[in-house]
Amino acid sequence: MSVRVHGASKVFSPGTPNEKTALKQVDFALEDGEFAVVIGSNGAGKSTLLNALAGEVPIDSGEILIDGRDVGSEPVYKRARLISRVFQDPMLGTAPELSIEENLAVAARRGRRKTFRLGLNRRNREYFRERISILGLGLESRLSEKVRSLSGGQRQSLTLIMAALLAPRLMLLDEHTSALDPRAAELVLKLTSDVVTGEAITTLMVTHNMQHALRFGSRLFMMHEGGIVLDAAAEEKSGLTVNDLVGRFHVTDDKMLLG
Amino acid sequence: MDFLDIYLNLFTVSLVQGAIFAFPALAVMIPFRMLGLPDLTSEGAFPFGAAIAATFTVAGFGPVLSLSAAVLFGFVVGAATALIHLYLRVPSLLAGIIVLTMLFSINIRVMGKPNTALFDNDSIFTLALDADGGEPLTQFALILALVLVFLAVFYWFLNTELGMALRCVGANQAMSRAQGIPTHYYIVAGIAMAGGFSAFGGAVMAQHQAYADVNMGVGVLIVGLAATILGETLVGRSTLIRQLVAPVVGSLAYFQVVAVALALGLKPSDLKLLTGLFVLTTLSIPIVLQARLPVRTGSRSRR
Repeated sequence: MSVRVHGASKVFSPGTPNEKTALKQVDFALEDGEFAVVIGSNGAGKSTLLNALAGEVPIDSGEILIDGRDVGSEPVYKRARLISRVFQDPMLGTAPELSIEENLAVAARRGRRKTFRLGLNRRNREYFRERISILGLGLESRLSEKVRSLSGGQRQSLTLIMAALLAPRLMLLDEHTSALDPRAAELVLKLTSDVVTGEAITTLMVTHNMQHALRFGSRLFMMHEGGIVLDAAAEEKSGLTVNDLVGRFHVTDDKMLLG
Repeated sequence: MDFLDIYLNLFTVSLVQGAIFAFPALAVMIPFRMLGLPDLTSEGAFPFGAAIAATFTVAGFGPVLSLSAAVLFGFVVGAATALIHLYLRVPSLLAGIIVLTMLFSINIRVMGKPNTALFDNDSIFTLALDADGGEPLTQFALILALVLVFLAVFYWFLNTELGMALRCVGANQAMSRAQGIPTHYYIVAGIAMAGGFSAFGGAVMAQHQAYADVNMGVGVLIVGLAATILGETLVGRSTLIRQLVAPVVGSLAYFQVVAVALALGLKPSDLKLLTGLFVLTTLSIPIVLQARLPVRTGSRSRR
């Protein structure tokens, strides 16, 4: 088991009228290389779960074990050695003032000690060129351009390459295609699937789109009111339809159906 | 004719001033542009560097050690501002004001009096040029060489893994954390470097005029800001080199503009008003342009 979450709970603003239980005794474990998709209506706790795993939101109780080590109390930057992340907002995953190759160079040192060595040299440039050419977007000939000039889809693709660059123990994808136009979203999803399954990266992907949830991944979690109410492994998942999910669970949110 | 005479008289002196103020201008640019965190500490770090250098010089440490001491102490005050901002959650501008205010008292404590004369002491100018401290043009060459050395080292640093991480923090903090960069440390280091640049400028100024004074920092910030903006207008900021060179070019250009203004008969006391108006104008150009043109994105929200 590379990732195990045990009894993770989180209450926001406890003891106030705004008290909100975001995570309620969440338990699950992911095998090495497993690609799990998380769905659920707004406020179900999907984002909180990802933020808790990444370290942006500290959990109140429970454990987050990666390769058997509890990382639950570590700050974001320390967990980054094990966890990589693609955000919902394409602007969040890259540094716009840095060039494409500089962004890649930063990602190539994710969670590693930084030194006074030059961040870019002929060897890693060559490697970055090779990695980025997988995208087929022509970015390999624009390595020294600032990321500011890239479109949302290009940025998300770059972020994905960056997230996979150092083979993380866990990759978190937070509705990472929802801010893209349908064509770009399709492209990034296909790339996600290629990278994640090609390199057997343990992945947790949150999506609002049920078709995507059924099409991608080897496992499906549905969250409701802070807990996991459905955990469908590969065979069960492949038999599910959107109507099943609507019929059997608390899916009343239009955005999930239309998204 | 009168105008030209006066301007030519001021020309070389203004070059020297411009070169010295390149340091505080860099100290304004670094937090403002590279860290995305406006900071006012340089206004206090400048006279602090002068006070430290003057005190070390009087104590017999020699000009080079005195300059080094100024840089080190400049780091400390820059770091202090950053720590106040990050750990006491004081907005960065306010943190800078607090530090620069406190530095006024500290400067007088450091020197034991509000000013220190260095007429009988060696400076980098008397060491490198001649016993009188050299002519303005050779002084300019010496300071410019120092500026270029600092720039080269800083440029190299910004291209190391550490420097790239620093720029990354300035561009996107959430992403930097997700990439395993402890952003707080880098912000402290970045603001500290800016403090070092400004203090070094103050120390060079003190050695150049053979005099350190607690009030010599007044207006440094606005000059640095004007220089940065002017420089960015002249050379742009599309690449890292341009971004670094901009404050230097801007500072040199700014003091030539000042020389022209003085030659035209303006009083030195008018300069702060003019500088303020210049900064205001430059900053407001994009907004004024946007308001005049029927912009696509803006019109929707206005309706």
